[in-house]
Amino acid sequence: MKPLSRRAAEPESAAFPTRPYDLLKEFTVALVAVALLTAGLAALFSSPDDKPVTLAAWSAAAPNDFTATAVAELGATSTTAQYGPPYNDTPGAGQRIGPLGLQRAAGVRIPVDTAEDFVLRPLRQAPEPADVTAALAAWSAAPTDQQQMWTAAYSDALGKAPDGDPAQVAHGDYGPVPVLTGRLLTLAQAGGLDGQLLAQGHFYQTDYTKPLLFLADGTYLAGLADGQHLSGDQWGMMNETGNYPGQAWLWLYTFWYQVDPFKTSTNADALIWALMAVLSLGLVLVPFIPGVRSVPRWTKVYRLIWRDHYRQQR
Amino acid sequence: MAMAAAYGERALAAPVDLNHTGHYVHWGVVQISVANLVVIGLMVLVFAAAVLLPFPKGRGRR
Repeated sequence: MKPLSRRAAEPESAAFPTRPYDLLKEFTVALVAVALLTAGLAALFSSPDDKPVTLAAWSAAAPNDFTATAVAELGATSTTAQYGPPYNDTPGAGQRIGPLGLQRAAGVRIPVDTAEDFVLRPLRQAPEPADVTAALAAWSAAPTDQQQMWTAAYSDALGKAPDGDPAQVAHGDYGPVPVLTGRLLTLAQAGGLDGQLLAQGHFYQTDYTKPLLFLADGTYLAGLADGQHLSGDQWGMMNETGNYPGQAWLWLYTFWYQVDPFKTSTNADALIWALMAVLSLGLVLVPFIPGVRSVPRWTKVYRLIWRDHYRQQR
Repeated sequence: MAMAAAYGERALAAPVDLNHTGHYVHWGVVQISVANLVVIGLMVLVFAAAVLLPFPKGRGRR
């Protein structure tokens, strides 16, 4: 039978040189060294300790931004309201890879109605002053077109007011919107809104989806993230708060967000995910890719590692 | 009481406080924190040491 390739026949493995090696000893030494290093570094540097950003903190620090965001939630013009799946079924929304609409394919799995979930329900659930009860009734009785006209007019007026201050908004027909958002601001500043958006019927509250979406729709959280170099265009994925090292191993993933065409693409998340999937597959398949699989043979780093062996062979 | 609490807090605080504004290096499109650079540098050093340092030999054996 003819051999399939011209490669020199490999010697039997029993003929290879051997050396004694205590794997258990190495494991124990590595475990103890890493444990001591972890405890020592933790004692020396502690850990990142940034105060959590809550709706209460946001509404106290930037009440005008909170009000503008609440109006956008009520009028369904916020980022969350128009995000598409998994939160809602906005026509045309959702990232895609070419013809493949991955986001839409996954469907609406965490339904969020921003007006109802972020504004109206919390107001109804909190003890209401009479003017808020009347404002809620007026809002519910109005047709959708009228509701959108009120929120659009109030949003424009806030934009024109000095610092977006609701107290300095020009007179106009805003319907019940100023009363609703004003009461929501009071509720948030008192800390009640954080609890209401968390209330999921569980004893332990660990689902921060709704308060986080509300927070992210404003400009306050993005401003804090920018200040800490945590935004997407600042390689934020590999950074940590303060002076702590972050997730340096995510450098390639976040790199793509800094360069065209991803930097300006509305499908950047989907495209970069697909690109990283292809690159990861390439890494797995290195032994089968001609040229790439020969890199160790060209660089000869293995000869440096096993230099004793190669020295003896000479 | 408050003084004792403050003293205890100070005694338990980490000797090196990294909870302040981070330092970043900008180079064209690249932005990287000094802390990440230090960690990457240490990883390169450990890799170089692992390659270059002689492999420990068993006592009395080759």
